[in-house]
Amino acid sequence: MNSLSTSGRSVNRESQVSRTAAMALMLLLAIYFLLPIYFLIVAATKPQGDLAATNGLTFSHFNLFENLRVLFTRSDGIFGRWALNTVIYAVLGAAVGTLISALCGYALAKFRFRGREFLFSVILGGVLVPTTALALPLFLLFSATGIVNTYFAVFLPSIVSPFGVYLARIFANAAVPQELLESARLDGAGEFRTFFSVAFKLMTPSLVTIFLFQFVAIWNNFFLPMVMLQKESLFPITLGLYEWNGQTARAPLLQESVITGSLVSIVPVIILFILLQRFWRTGLAAGSLK
Amino acid sequence: MTDIATRAARVVQSPGGRRRLNGGGPRAGTIFAFVIPFFLPFVLFYLVPVGYALWQSVRVVRRTGGQYGTSYTTFGGFDQYEKVFQNSEFWSSVGRIGLFGIVQVPVMLFVALVIALLLDTPLLRLKSVFRITAFMPYAVPGVIAAIMWSYLYSPQLSPVVDLLNGIGLHPDFLGPGAVLWSAANISTWLWTGYNMLIMFSALQSIPQELYEAAKLDGASNWAIAWQIKVPIIAPSIILTTVFSIIGTLQLYAEPAVLRQISSNISSTFTPNMLAYAVASGNNYQQAAAISVVIAVITFVLSFGFMRLTSKRAGL
Amino acid sequence: MSSTRTRIRLGAVAVAASVAVLAGCSSSSPSTKTSAASCAPAKGKVTLQYWNTVPGMDKVVALWNKKNPNIQVDTKNISNDQYGTLSNALKAGKAPDLSQVGYDELPNLRTQNAFVDASACSAATAAKSKFVPWTWSQTSFGNTGVFALPQDTGPMALYVRSDIFKKYDIAIPTTWDEYAAAAAKLHKADSKLDITFFDPNNAEWFNGLLWQNDSQMYSYSGDKWQVTVASAQSKQVADYWQKLISGKLVRTDLANGSTQMYAAYQKDQIASYVGAAWGYSMFRDNLPKQSGKWTIVPMPTWGSNGASGDWGGSTVAFMKGSKHLYESVEFNTWLNTDPEALALENQLGGLYPAANAGLQLPALSKGVPYYNNEKIFDVFADSSKKINTSFAWGPTQKTVNLALQDAMAKAAAGDGTLYDALTTAQAAALKSMKDQAIPAAAGK
Repeated sequence: MNSLSTSGRSVNRESQVSRTAAMALMLLLAIYFLLPIYFLIVAATKPQGDLAATNGLTFSHFNLFENLRVLFTRSDGIFGRWALNTVIYAVLGAAVGTLISALCGYALAKFRFRGREFLFSVILGGVLVPTTALALPLFLLFSATGIVNTYFAVFLPSIVSPFGVYLARIFANAAVPQELLESARLDGAGEFRTFFSVAFKLMTPSLVTIFLFQFVAIWNNFFLPMVMLQKESLFPITLGLYEWNGQTARAPLLQESVITGSLVSIVPVIILFILLQRFWRTGLAAGSLK
Repeated sequence: MTDIATRAARVVQSPGGRRRLNGGGPRAGTIFAFVIPFFLPFVLFYLVPVGYALWQSVRVVRRTGGQYGTSYTTFGGFDQYEKVFQNSEFWSSVGRIGLFGIVQVPVMLFVALVIALLLDTPLLRLKSVFRITAFMPYAVPGVIAAIMWSYLYSPQLSPVVDLLNGIGLHPDFLGPGAVLWSAANISTWLWTGYNMLIMFSALQSIPQELYEAAKLDGASNWAIAWQIKVPIIAPSIILTTVFSIIGTLQLYAEPAVLRQISSNISSTFTPNMLAYAVASGNNYQQAAAISVVIAVITFVLSFGFMRLTSKRAGL
Repeated sequence: MSSTRTRIRLGAVAVAASVAVLAGCSSSSPSTKTSAASCAPAKGKVTLQYWNTVPGMDKVVALWNKKNPNIQVDTKNISNDQYGTLSNALKAGKAPDLSQVGYDELPNLRTQNAFVDASACSAATAAKSKFVPWTWSQTSFGNTGVFALPQDTGPMALYVRSDIFKKYDIAIPTTWDEYAAAAAKLHKADSKLDITFFDPNNAEWFNGLLWQNDSQMYSYSGDKWQVTVASAQSKQVADYWQKLISGKLVRTDLANGSTQMYAAYQKDQIASYVGAAWGYSMFRDNLPKQSGKWTIVPMPTWGSNGASGDWGGSTVAFMKGSKHLYESVEFNTWLNTDPEALALENQLGGLYPAANAGLQLPALSKGVPYYNNEKIFDVFADSSKKINTSFAWGPTQKTVNLALQDAMAKAAAGDGTLYDALTTAQAAALKSMKDQAIPAAAGK
């Protein structure tokens, strides 16, 4: 064990063992986290035939450009369509969602009104409602009103993020000092003007965090689009790849497109996440402190 | 309307400056306008479906006329719920997911905690690199992660299987006993980094002074970690546990993808898969009842866990 | 003051929204019976929606579109979740004019009132004589209307790697007993060699085998469906394959048509294939190097009963809500009886036509180079004649198939037997029919 009375050398040695052990453990974990992505990169560069025939971790004949060409031209460019749909659902959806969450969270934080806490509890309860439980009843409701199998069928439920409101309330309380609001009011500014010109600027980093959370939630949401959409041209990438993956038994060549498509879809998001990592940390820190 | 000067004077005069005057805050209409853009969709797409599911779950199908007949629905009381609770497949799927959760959630959170603690000590170099690699899987949606791992489990394509075969092991990741854990592995891979980041952020906000005293007393990093840090970040651990419980009960995408390549995943493997299969058989009323039961179980478990741990921690 | 008003306003919005939405969705009122719709040609150009699962169908449709500028057809491939897609579309009121529907799903969709009866169109009723009798019997629900036109069938036969049988000096089996004996001999000679594979996730294939053994699982009498999924004939088939599985004489880890399956055949690990007529292109396209090694012979029989079974094949159904019945009948009839269309479907999609005209196609009278220039379609035509015409599907076939598959997968993994799977399927059939308020009883 550790003993403070010993010289600095023995302390160093002890921590040298710990250091090595820690590094070894982390290295192992890093390999675990990177393995599937590495495999995907390697597999995406191979021609279909080599997938089973060559070792999965080593490159073989470089076929990436051909695979990409096949991917984007398959079925009249449906993959590009799926990518566009994903942007609509996840980017646009998260943007709209962030705005309405921000407005609501700000109001819950900064405006006093009776029933405020009750409203907030209701919304917070929504955080605990699993979205998958909502998908089937939503499907039936949308069927009855005729918007099933349209963009709205996925877009509209996606903009609702109770967690976003929860975060927005915390961030509004933290980032926007009451005095600033008071002085703006004294200057005769309307609430909306105050929000957009004062609060919005102060809350911008928080809004990015809320946006990212919602983006991930929508990007990750598989059950909702699966239940709602039958028309292939409306699929997000996740649903499209899942469909292709189910058909590889009939059409083996699809396998390579599934792999290449998976790579193409996760690389930009991974890069974005790495660049914007700090927004999660602030968000998660705030969220966990409750 | 009082003039600005008078209002300003009143603000200055009130003690503490925090007493709000009537008319100093926004009007009801404005509050409404701020809240409604969220609240209306929330009612429409969260509350109404919940209500609709409840309504559907107390309906039954009846049929009139002949071999094929015409169908209609009518009030059925708790009929659908009885059927759910009498359905052995329902209990199998719940049992499966329970087993999954009891093992996967603690394992994943433990690994996340260890990584977070390691990142918070001087024991590691290249910390940001490790943090980023742990976080990367979070950027991958569940379906795509499952597709990637399904290739790593496939006896024909997987380099891992090749490697293990080479040293004489012949694991069957898709076999009847193993497939549940193969699915658990995918969940672990996906969410460890995210949970780690939550815990890490909590750790980073602990003021250093708290350790000074302990270090002066000769406590090792290990002791500091487990006896000081972990209790302090307990709320974030609780939070991650709650979210993990909720996520586990909703499991759908990962087993569904594995089902495309393994016959050991039945169509009713998880409760949500059961609900979907039942809905595909056009039994929407039964599917609604299943969804309601799953939602209630989720709520009870997550809420119950939060209460339990808050009481214990005296929070 | 302001807070109360706000609260009231928000509450009002919530209530109003809920009421509006819930009022908009009425409880399913008794849906209209499948009544014969009127059949009048439309004025002007018409566009039909045809959902299908056949590879190359878009080219067949393109051929029609070129010839028929006033009746244009849009296709959509729904191979991934064919019946989920259809059923959702029906529920949403957005069903296509025509859709691919397997024979085994016709009763199920009929109970959802998915079809429109096209018998008002003379071309539809006249089509009866153009098809193989058992197929018409199923699409017309025993001659009670014209709900679909048969497209293709899957008469079963045995595909054999004659070179492997020759190598081990085993005669090609003609009965199931001989088949089991051959299985043992092959496996003994080469422990890596299996006579065939048993895909537990293929209820359709298994149903074809039950069909061959005359297993009448569903009938209708006394105002009820009589359900006998686990009949004696079914048990005989189940026990047979269970013996092969328990004796490890068949592979259980391969899915039909998967890359793994082809890989196994490629490596000479499997010596035969119990398949249907539409399967002939599978080996031709995926195992080109094995040309000349395959032959096709009649299915092994149960003793002297020379019956054959059908696996798959489908129909093109007239879906409810079709606004252009006349044009749908025109297109559907052409699609499934015109020799040019049939030839193209056979060539691109490997379809074995249900139409009498299709059996005379030049492509089906020729020898097929891959199979040693044998006239393999004669075997299938012969098999076709021996398919029991009184076999019927159940009204919850999809649910029963799923339950059967789940249970067969367990049996293949050693948990229970195939007969247990049948009894599970029987229970699932009765339960699902009860859930749908379809009158049913355990038969016999």
